[in-house]
Formats: sequence, structure tokens, C-alpha cells
Amino acid sequence: MTCPFLEYRSASGDRSFDVARAYCTAASAFVQPMRADICNDRYDLQHDRDCEIYREHADEATAGKAAGGAEEPTVDADEDA
Amino acid sequence: MTYDDYLAGEPVIVTAALTGGVHGKEANPNLPESPDEIGRAAAAAEAAGAAVVHVHAREPNGERSFATERFQAVDDAIREHADDVVIQHSTGGTAAPDDVRHQPLRTDPPPEMASLDMGPLNRYDHLTSENTRALVDSLLAEMRERGVKPELEVFNDGHLNEVHGLLERADVADPPYATLIFGGGTLTPPRPENLLHAIRNLPEGATFNTLGFGRHQLPFATLGILLGGHVRVGLEDNVYYRRGELAESNAQLVQRVVDVAETLGRPVATPDQAREILGL
Repeated sequence: MTCPFLEYRSASGDRSFDVARAYCTAASAFVQPMRADICNDRYDLQHDRDCEIYREHADEATAGKAAGGAEEPTVDADEDA
Repeated sequence: MTYDDYLAGEPVIVTAALTGGVHGKEANPNLPESPDEIGRAAAAAEAAGAAVVHVHAREPNGERSFATERFQAVDDAIREHADDVVIQHSTGGTAAPDDVRHQPLRTDPPPEMASLDMGPLNRYDHLTSENTRALVDSLLAEMRERGVKPELEVFNDGHLNEVHGLLERADVADPPYATLIFGGGTLTPPRPENLLHAIRNLPEGATFNTLGFGRHQLPFATLGILLGGHVRVGLEDNVYYRRGELAESNAQLVQRVVDVAETLGRPVATPDQAREILGL
């Protein structure tokens, strides 16, 4: 599963992009491309093990799921080949 | 390579690290990500004096890609826009499986150069780029098979031991070419005396490249020029021109270090001179 805090957005505040990019709703910021690998649990990465931002907000993620929050990102990322 | 090489006016090779794989346009909107953007950035960097471009590949959304096809698209764009610059692929990639790390070597034609990370590097709070010795050996073997010159990336002094060990157990074409990297975390602390120590600990006959991360980019490039080495600058390693001011382009960072070299009396190598110096 991908990180429950991951969304793909084309704009936020005064930042906009032609192609939707990984956005961390816990940190309220676009994420670095390498961090997007963690968000998407690519390769041997796991957001709940490797991402300090997720670990700091894990309780909120659990509460969001219990309240019926989305588990999947709004837009899927392209997978690295 | 020594201060005597500086005094003798040996040409300095400027490498432009155009995009990297860690940060993207969220850090600096001027950082190139698409093949066309990278190709144009390579041409501008070459025009400013870069002889080598160090490249990574991206997905359309800016995320990392190690796929041969994406590197091929980048190379095609560089060749379309630039004149004769040397292309150097990254084989780095935190957490990417070993077979994926080989994919950047498989473009047609292969890159003239490719990076070879000499050991581990910490990332964020919970990640390490492992770069095991077995992976280093397997990447080097494929580089030799495909005629690719390795750029030995030395993140810290322990990796200098790894360079010596690599040269003892494997055949690396002369001259060995090591990039000495300075910054925070697992990197060698960015102190001028540490560059001197690293140079002293290089194998006999090795050539070195100097890389300072962030605000250390310009001072370490300057030190590298004075100590007879080569230099790497670019948005992969530093997104600022000066404190609080984002760099406008890779070419701007290249131009600044070219100006430093010329002010100090050291000529800047053309791509052909770089090929001769590096034995490509």
C-alpha cells in the first residue's frame, strides 16, 4: 500500500506543475522525488518503516482509516521501470 | 595531481551535475527534469564551459527512474541539443535493487562514463544507500564490458580504502578517477584540510574531482582548482547561487566556477581535452 498521506497534486499555494507530483498531506508540502519512492513503497522501501514524517503522524493515519479515510492516493504515480 | 599541476596550468575539467535523483522542481523550479529540459541544460552548461554532464533520469512527474529507456531519452536529447559534451550516467539509487542499478549502463551507445559509488551513504533518518562491495564489482564488470569509464564516488575517507581495494582486485583503466565529496552526514566533513588528506590518500596516479554539497560547492571547487584537481558543480548538489537566492540554471553555476578557474589562471578543458585527460 502507498502512504495514506500521499496525494498527487498539480498545484498548492503559489506552486504549480504541468504533471501532478507527490504531495505529503502530513507535511503540507510537495515531496522530493526520492521520498516519493518511500511514499509509494517502491523497491524495498516502506513508508511506515522508512519515513520519519509518517512515523511522526502514524496515529493520525490510523485515526483517519478508522473514520473511513482514503487508503489510496487520489492519483496513482507512474511506477519506476 | 597537486598544486604543481595548478602552477603548470593543466586544464580543469568542469562536470555539471544537472538534475540528480533526490530533489526536483519542488526545491528549485529551474532544475531540469524532462529529457528535453536536461538536453537544453546540458547544452547551456557545455557552452558555459562544462566538458562532462552527470545525469540521472526522471519520470514525467519528476520521480526517479533507473530505466534504460528513460536514460536513452535523456541521452538523445543531450545529443540533439549539445555539441560534444561527455555524458556520464549515474548508477546511484537508494534502495533500488542491484539489477535496476545496472540499467543506466545499457543505453545505445553506452555512456562514456558512469558513477560508481564506493560504499554506504545515510539518507534521511531511516535509509542507507548500501552500495555493497559485490554490487560495486558487478557494476564495474559491466562498465568494463561496455567500455564505460568509472567515476569512483568517494563519500568519506573510508571509501578511499575501498578505492585502493578495488584497484587491487579489479582492472580499472588508467587513470583512476575519483570524485571526493564533502558535506554533512556520512560525507567527509567540509574542511579544507580534509581535502588535502583525501588527496594524499589517493592511489598513485589517480586523478580527482572535487564536489562540495550545498554552500560548500563554490569554495570546494575553488580548492579543487588550486590543488590541481577537477570540479563538479550543478543543481544536483546545490540549488542556490548564494544564501537565500536560488540558482537560475546549471549554466550559471558552471559559469561562476569557470570564471574562478580563469581568474586563477587555470584553463578550462574542452570535451576533447577531458577525454584525453581521463583516458576515454
